[in-house]
Amino acid sequence: MALDTIIDIKNVQIHQKENLVLANVNINIEKGEFVYLIGKTGSGKSSLLKILYGELPLDDGEASIAGFNLKELKRKEIPFLRRKLGIVFQDFQLLTDRTIDDNLMFVMKATGWTDKIKMKERCSDVLSKVGLTGKGFKMPHELSGGEQQRVSIARALVNDPEIILADEPTGNLDPQTSEEIITLLLDISKTGRAIVMATHDYLLLNKFKARTITCEGGKIMDSKYPN
Amino acid sequence: MSSSNPEKYTKRSVRSSYLSTVISVSLVLFMLGLLGLTILYANKLSIYVKENIGFTVILKEDVKPADINQFQKSLDASRYVKSTNFITKEEAAKTLQEDLGEDFVEFLGYNPLLSSIDVHLKADYANADSISNIEAALLKNEEVKEVYYQKSLVDLVNKNVKTIGLILLVFSSLLMIICIALINNSIRLSIYSKRFLIKTMQLVGATQGFIRKPFIFRGIKHGIYGAFIAILLLSGVIYLMQKQIPELIELQDIDLFVTLFAFVILLGVFITFVSTWLAVRKYVRLKTDDLYY
Repeated sequence: MALDTIIDIKNVQIHQKENLVLANVNINIEKGEFVYLIGKTGSGKSSLLKILYGELPLDDGEASIAGFNLKELKRKEIPFLRRKLGIVFQDFQLLTDRTIDDNLMFVMKATGWTDKIKMKERCSDVLSKVGLTGKGFKMPHELSGGEQQRVSIARALVNDPEIILADEPTGNLDPQTSEEIITLLLDISKTGRAIVMATHDYLLLNKFKARTITCEGGKIMDSKYPN
Repeated sequence: MSSSNPEKYTKRSVRSSYLSTVISVSLVLFMLGLLGLTILYANKLSIYVKENIGFTVILKEDVKPADINQFQKSLDASRYVKSTNFITKEEAAKTLQEDLGEDFVEFLGYNPLLSSIDVHLKADYANADSISNIEAALLKNEEVKEVYYQKSLVDLVNKNVKTIGLILLVFSSLLMIICIALINNSIRLSIYSKRFLIKTMQLVGATQGFIRKPFIFRGIKHGIYGAFIAILLLSGVIYLMQKQIPELIELQDIDLFVTLFAFVILLGVFITFVSTWLAVRKYVRLKTDDLYY
């Protein structure tokens, strides 16, 4: 495994219930890489991401992410794995009962931050990175879909993760907002974070070229290793 | 919904959901408290009735007053006696004359009655077996001629108290189960509505303990609020009952009321704690896909 490898997947089999959807998955992702994960619905993209953030157990094969061996990952280690990742969802998954600032504060409190001044600074910092300065007092439902997704990305950035896993982050957004979100994610990847983004949006793929892993016919095809 | 201030609306809606949980908890605890109150009064009443059960120790003719006094003192000191009352043969004759309505002493030319001691037992000993043992022991005394009590009455009182106690026990056990189920259900519904929030908290790296803590604190807080409302309602019921039935004041025991109120608070805290803990535990263990079922 190369020094810069942040995700290393070897001979992994991915099942959905009893069905094998992806066989012999071998993927190696380095720090700062931007990777699209594409494929039809049910092709195993989301399941692969779920394995990476510990939502599904890894039954067959070997995989490591941000220094965590997923094969030996224990239930109580999952929160600590997720603190090394930023996760972004199609439906944003914000805490709808509190303001944007409180959403970010919650992540910080949950991950061991205690200094309130530093927390506030970090909150302003990540909101400014996603272009939402001054909107921290708002409730999630007061923001547009694009803004909510930006909050979700800001939340993913709070703990300065090495990897961001984005599961169809533009699935609920209009084309222009989708482009803004992709641009934001590409900018973030330039700061050295690996980004794995599952998507259906082939227009974006064509416009913003990057390494593409395709899930099709139970196999993985990687544009980085065409053969 | 007030579109001008949706945050206020959200807070109000969350508060109203908490309020309904507190009301459910308080009503259920009130029901349990009422049952506890009934059991306390029934217990007090059974003790009151049992301690009015007693027997009469008929003394021999020739016993000296000093010996009678000594014997009465020894009875008062024994563990089964609540109180004793010495009745001279003259007092006994007077009472009987009043009951019969004629002067039988003048008719007979002498007083055939004997001096006696009325003994009231402590509730624990007011049963046929204990009385029978006490009778046997008393008859060994030189001063005692006879021990008299109504065995059938003692049996009847004990049988009825036992039956009522059994009915109350079965009823209270059933009500307890129903109450726990109702509180558990209210709390589970309240946590169920937050299952996606719980999942989101997990996805951002919060540990199970961190997620569980605020839910449990809130659950316990609701249990305490519910218990205090239930205690207020119970105090109202006690006040009204004593106003309607002043005799109940005789059965009043402040210590027992305090114990009952403490029990209501502890029960409120315990049930809400366990229900919240179990409900949150269930949702932190569910996979995201299972949250939709």
